[in-house]
Amino acid sequence: VAARADVRPHELVRLVQLGQRDAVLAARTIWECISCQTCITRCPQKVDIAAMNDALRRLSLAAGKVHPKTTVPVFNDIFLNTVRSRGRMFEMGLMTRYKLRTGKLLADIGKLPMMLRKGKLALLGPRVAGKAERKQMFQRARQAGGTNK
Amino acid sequence: VSYVFFPGCSLEGTARDFGISTEAVARALGLELPELPDWICCGATPAHQSDPLLATALPAKNLLAAGGKTVAVACAACYSRLKAANHEIAADPAVRKKVAQVVGADYDGQTPVRHLLEILVRDLGTARIAEGVVRPLAGLKVVCYYGCLLARPPEVTQFDDAENPTLMDQVMSAAGATVIDWPHKTECCGGSYSVTDVDIVLMLTRDVLSMARLAGADCIVTACPLCQINLDMRQRDVADKYGDFFDLPVFYFTQLLGLAMGLTPKALRLASLVVDPTALLAARGIVPGPAAPAAVALSGKAHT
Repeated sequence: VAARADVRPHELVRLVQLGQRDAVLAARTIWECISCQTCITRCPQKVDIAAMNDALRRLSLAAGKVHPKTTVPVFNDIFLNTVRSRGRMFEMGLMTRYKLRTGKLLADIGKLPMMLRKGKLALLGPRVAGKAERKQMFQRARQAGGTNK
Repeated sequence: VSYVFFPGCSLEGTARDFGISTEAVARALGLELPELPDWICCGATPAHQSDPLLATALPAKNLLAAGGKTVAVACAACYSRLKAANHEIAADPAVRKKVAQVVGADYDGQTPVRHLLEILVRDLGTARIAEGVVRPLAGLKVVCYYGCLLARPPEVTQFDDAENPTLMDQVMSAAGATVIDWPHKTECCGGSYSVTDVDIVLMLTRDVLSMARLAGADCIVTACPLCQINLDMRQRDVADKYGDFFDLPVFYFTQLLGLAMGLTPKALRLASLVVDPTALLAARGIVPGPAAPAAVALSGKAHT
């Protein structure tokens, strides 16, 4: 993925060192890092690029600098909301809400009948007990400096 | 060792066939995998991208609920998050304290977490697997694809060699398959970017599929719901974008192992695969081909 990045990983590290806050937080590349952990596994200095990008994403969100072309924060937001209320992921619900919020209504819509036929999508969402307790967990994480919404 | 099983969300949704084939294979091996009651999502990528504390607390809550038993995991992404939580909590008392505040109970980071491949090779042993094989996958040329999250980072997962893992290769060898060595075992498929930025996934899966074909594989074997669905379901999209249809079936290792152990394609949910493996499996004599029903009928008569 680094090959197609607007700012490549080593450039990003240098920009962070130089304090180029705006350039870093507005970069698309921080939203394209797929957290594959190859960087840290191979780096002799153990520079943890994936963890750095996780931190930069949160700073970018907080500063309102999120690159306009990425939909990753929307996806993350819906995903975590689903976990908080249901306890587990519900793919149909997640995809519906993601499409409504991003306007990408038709993306992959042609795959829906095949996925249903092949039993890849549960129609009913899971519900795990302990919703109130989970809400508190999310809230306490926020209070302790966490950044879930 | 007594285990509790953490299925994870995908095994109840897009990877139902992984969940069902895991249960079927475990039953056939006499491996007891009772489900962890009221388990919740590990948080996956969205949690660690958004809130590192929550990303550690969600797995901690599950690991605490295991009550000291070994947590068995099939999904590579869940495995990675559970292992990461253990690693962070055990390494840093400050993290442990914060997580305890969030979860509402102290967790020491010591609940053992094992991937099913580790259980098969290290706990049961390949000899025991080979004993259960009644229909060896002779002549089936497979490449084992581990993806990112099982083996990386090695300090955290302690799964196997980070650049050249072999646990799945060993399981497939025990099942009688011809395992081909190849360089893309631990490349990335793009994971959840299949939803948010599909071009990344098409680029990465095309690399993996190309290399599998170059290596001479009949099919790809996976251990991760995201790897499987990206390599399988996106093959048609890769063809549309790059003009190259690979037609390579992409199995879960539990499905191929199950076939070798004599379980039926239906019991292993092979019909859930997007690239149809029937012709390949029939050509290798692993499932009955178009001509085989007659042969079965004849042999049936011979017995009566």
